[in-house]
Amino acid sequence: MLSAMTAAATMFPGILFAKDQEKNLPTDSDIKWNKAPCRFCGVGCGVLVGVKEGKAVAVKGDPKSTVNKGLLCVKGYHQIMCIQAEDRLTHALVKKNGTYVKTPISEALDLVASKMKETISKHGKDSVAMYTSGQSTIPEGYVASKLMKGAIGTNNLDCNARLCMASAVTGFLTSFGADEPMGCYEDIDHADYFITWGNNMAEMHPVLFSRMLDQKNRRGAQIIDFATRTTRSSMASDKSILFEPQTDLAVANAICYEIINNGWVNKKFIEDHINFNKGLTNMGYGLEDNYKFKDKPTSISFEEFKEFLEDYTPEKVALYSKVCVRDIKYMAAIYGDPNNKVVSFWCMGMNQHTRGTWMNNLVYNIHLLTGKISQPGNSPFSLTGQPSACGTAREVGTFTHKLPKGVVTKEKYRRLAAKIWKVPYERIPSKPTYHATEMFRAVDRGDIKFIWTQVVNPLVSLPKTGRYRPGMKKDSCFVVVSDVFPTPTSDVADVILPACWHIEKSGLYGNSERRTQHWNKMVEGPGDTTPDAWMTIEVAKRMGYGDLFPYSKENHVEEIYNEYRQFHEGPQHGMAPLEVLKKESGAMWPFYKGKSTRWRYNAKYDPACNNGKDFHFYGKPDGKAIIWQRPYEPAPEVPDKEFPFWLNTGRVIEHWHTGSMTRRIPVLHKAMPNAYVELHPQDAKSMGITNGQDVKIVSRRGQCILPAAINQRGLPTRGQVFVPFFDENMLINDVTLDAFCPISKEPDYKKCAVRIEKA
Amino acid sequence: MKRFRNIVIFLAICIATITLWNYFDNSQVETVYVPLIKEPAPPSIPLEKGVFKRSSHALEYANMPIDKEHQRSLDTYYNNRAYPGAPPSIPHPLEAERNMGAKTCLKCHQNGGFVKKFNASAPITPHPEYVNCRQCHVAQKTQSLFIASNFKKIEAPSVGNNNALLGSPPMIPHQIRMRESCLSCHAGPSAPKEIRVSHPERVNCRQCHVPTDLKVNASSTFIRKTNYDK
Repeated sequence: MLSAMTAAATMFPGILFAKDQEKNLPTDSDIKWNKAPCRFCGVGCGVLVGVKEGKAVAVKGDPKSTVNKGLLCVKGYHQIMCIQAEDRLTHALVKKNGTYVKTPISEALDLVASKMKETISKHGKDSVAMYTSGQSTIPEGYVASKLMKGAIGTNNLDCNARLCMASAVTGFLTSFGADEPMGCYEDIDHADYFITWGNNMAEMHPVLFSRMLDQKNRRGAQIIDFATRTTRSSMASDKSILFEPQTDLAVANAICYEIINNGWVNKKFIEDHINFNKGLTNMGYGLEDNYKFKDKPTSISFEEFKEFLEDYTPEKVALYSKVCVRDIKYMAAIYGDPNNKVVSFWCMGMNQHTRGTWMNNLVYNIHLLTGKISQPGNSPFSLTGQPSACGTAREVGTFTHKLPKGVVTKEKYRRLAAKIWKVPYERIPSKPTYHATEMFRAVDRGDIKFIWTQVVNPLVSLPKTGRYRPGMKKDSCFVVVSDVFPTPTSDVADVILPACWHIEKSGLYGNSERRTQHWNKMVEGPGDTTPDAWMTIEVAKRMGYGDLFPYSKENHVEEIYNEYRQFHEGPQHGMAPLEVLKKESGAMWPFYKGKSTRWRYNAKYDPACNNGKDFHFYGKPDGKAIIWQRPYEPAPEVPDKEFPFWLNTGRVIEHWHTGSMTRRIPVLHKAMPNAYVELHPQDAKSMGITNGQDVKIVSRRGQCILPAAINQRGLPTRGQVFVPFFDENMLINDVTLDAFCPISKEPDYKKCAVRIEKA
Repeated sequence: MKRFRNIVIFLAICIATITLWNYFDNSQVETVYVPLIKEPAPPSIPLEKGVFKRSSHALEYANMPIDKEHQRSLDTYYNNRAYPGAPPSIPHPLEAERNMGAKTCLKCHQNGGFVKKFNASAPITPHPEYVNCRQCHVAQKTQSLFIASNFKKIEAPSVGNNNALLGSPPMIPHQIRMRESCLSCHAGPSAPKEIRVSHPERVNCRQCHVPTDLKVNASSTFIRKTNYDK
């Protein structure tokens, strides 16, 4: 009994159990607990994984982690259950005459290397590509970049973070010249108001939301939910404001108008730290193949910016945004009051947007006009969806235009990479090639003849999969898929490589608040499963690049991280050394002189500030952040007579992304066994659709049949339907549109026009 | 003959008048026909409406000392139901026999509190918006039966063994409909001691606790069918 009580007490720190509540709990006497970041979302909770007799048996929140302070969400608590799934990929599979043949891993890697080499010699370097992930560990992303850009010499490397974070990156770069948030999660403890922009945090970032609820209950902080759909977050918020899809651009400008018109501008801050710019408009939506766009910034004055905002008075904007004038003024007043500390949170609502970069700029505009930035509790905070979208995709730079530091187009960064990688500088090409969507278009066109995907499931997650599935099936392209489980993507592979899951290898992830976290391997992977980084290294060796990859199998994670750290040395982006990361539950970069930096650009907290003022936006050459003039432009496809509904897609709390892991966790599958389409009750009634009835969603690209959900998890506005995308048996991305933001190249999964029929 | 002709003309005029009258009268009816006004939109609140319902009391619950003498147990909780999930019966005398419940019930059962007369804390209803309480909840006026029954009460879910992993948050073993507001039954002095939550201040309960008894098609585990040679 006593041991059961202590067991429970260690499970939930600070939570005491009564005798009656734990009489059936087993004891945990011989369990060993190891720390790791959670496998799932970008919040990056610290978890402790319990291992008993070589098997992972339990998970608890790490009380030492400042991110989650011992709390997790339902996915986090049950994550390890997926590794035992019966259909786990345990051996390499090679397609021979249409059937998959079990093959020893070294033989499969031989084949991958020889195919890659052969393709390069026949069709050139740019005929091979790698598509990786925001779930790749830092070493995995680093060796992929080194192989493609440093060894082979092609920029054909992109990742699925393009589908979720690219607009956040271009938003940061255009406004501040340096990627990733200036603030940190501690902002939650100081804020008076949380304004969430198209972000259902109660389900998507539940642990951060629990911290917000805590502040709401204890301190009276208020949550304002600004969204296109009523969700669990709306129910918990103090005020829910609904807007018409795409008009967030106009509402953000209207808030700026109100701030200026009411004299709420922080004049001193503007004078010292801000420049005004405008860019090109009417730039299209990237719907055609080989679409190219480059923005041309021009400097404008504050007066010109003010004049531009005349088109965005709350009265004018209310007409098409369907947000009433009072609500626009209410939000503006929250931002405008100098005594309020305000945190804005957003994630996919703003990023997966054909004007995603603009939308990110606009929210920064609001915070910059009022000077509410880079201080505890005043923070525009861009959240991430993947555990290492920041750490790997953005910091290591597994994008076509990126290097571990800087972009390929700048000579000084190519020289730095060449020096650290010990490759000839000329080998790194200076021109970016394919971003995610264009990469799969190139596969479909036959331009890419070899593609290797790692930790990613594009045939569920890409928009308009109806085009890209047949594209990947074509004989013109040799497809290699590394994964832990079979997926619709591995179904079209020529070679399937069995990967180790999370705790079956060591690794490092970086979360939304610039926190880098390390974990050690805890259990053995089954069969021939191999860490992705090691498979990349093995292929590189077989291609003759062994001297560039002198890592050892046992220690490659540490060796790679130490090499990678050289890229970011200095006060602006220094990464914590391994000793620190092994001991602590993560450290935040810039890690300088033994200390994490919590608020960048603020001289009080950031050692990189050196202009002698309170704030220094050192990402820009003159140390000033930029307020951008960005107008409202309509979505590429709007509801019309033939297709009268907006289609919005997203997630649910139980499942993560394409569900390849969470659906294999019985608790989560039982709680949410299939996808559905949410309809407004009146829309459903007018079409005679009842709850649970099968409904066909049709767009110009494809169709999908799902059961209707009326007044269930969420409630869309009239004229809108919502579908979660986790279900591979109901592929909603056959229906979505592959339009993207011309600056970030991130697709918009939140808006396209569909028709609803009874199935 | 002339008279006969007059009669015919007269009749013809009568018939024409009646026909025309009818015709115009009806056409007029048609033009002034007013379509039924569409009924106003039903209140559009998702099923999840109750998730945060009593969360404003969460901190009070967290800080409230436990009154060990008067707490309920799961045994008494289930004894008062025909089967797990059935509406509980009213175990005390009724105040106003003629009314449907509403305020009479809600004055104790909306927010709870200690009732000296019954020496117990009043349980809080998770659905105070359904005011016809006695539609589902009935009194027990006798313990004897009209005729014995073979109905067997299914076993109620027990506590402490409803976790998927050692120490993982227990799943929700009951239907959520009309019980969306977790804190109504799982917090405060009227909560059965075995299921009283130790951390009511967390509020977003379904962040960690998910239902387990949703109807699942075919199998309860997700396994793909592949043609991989295994």
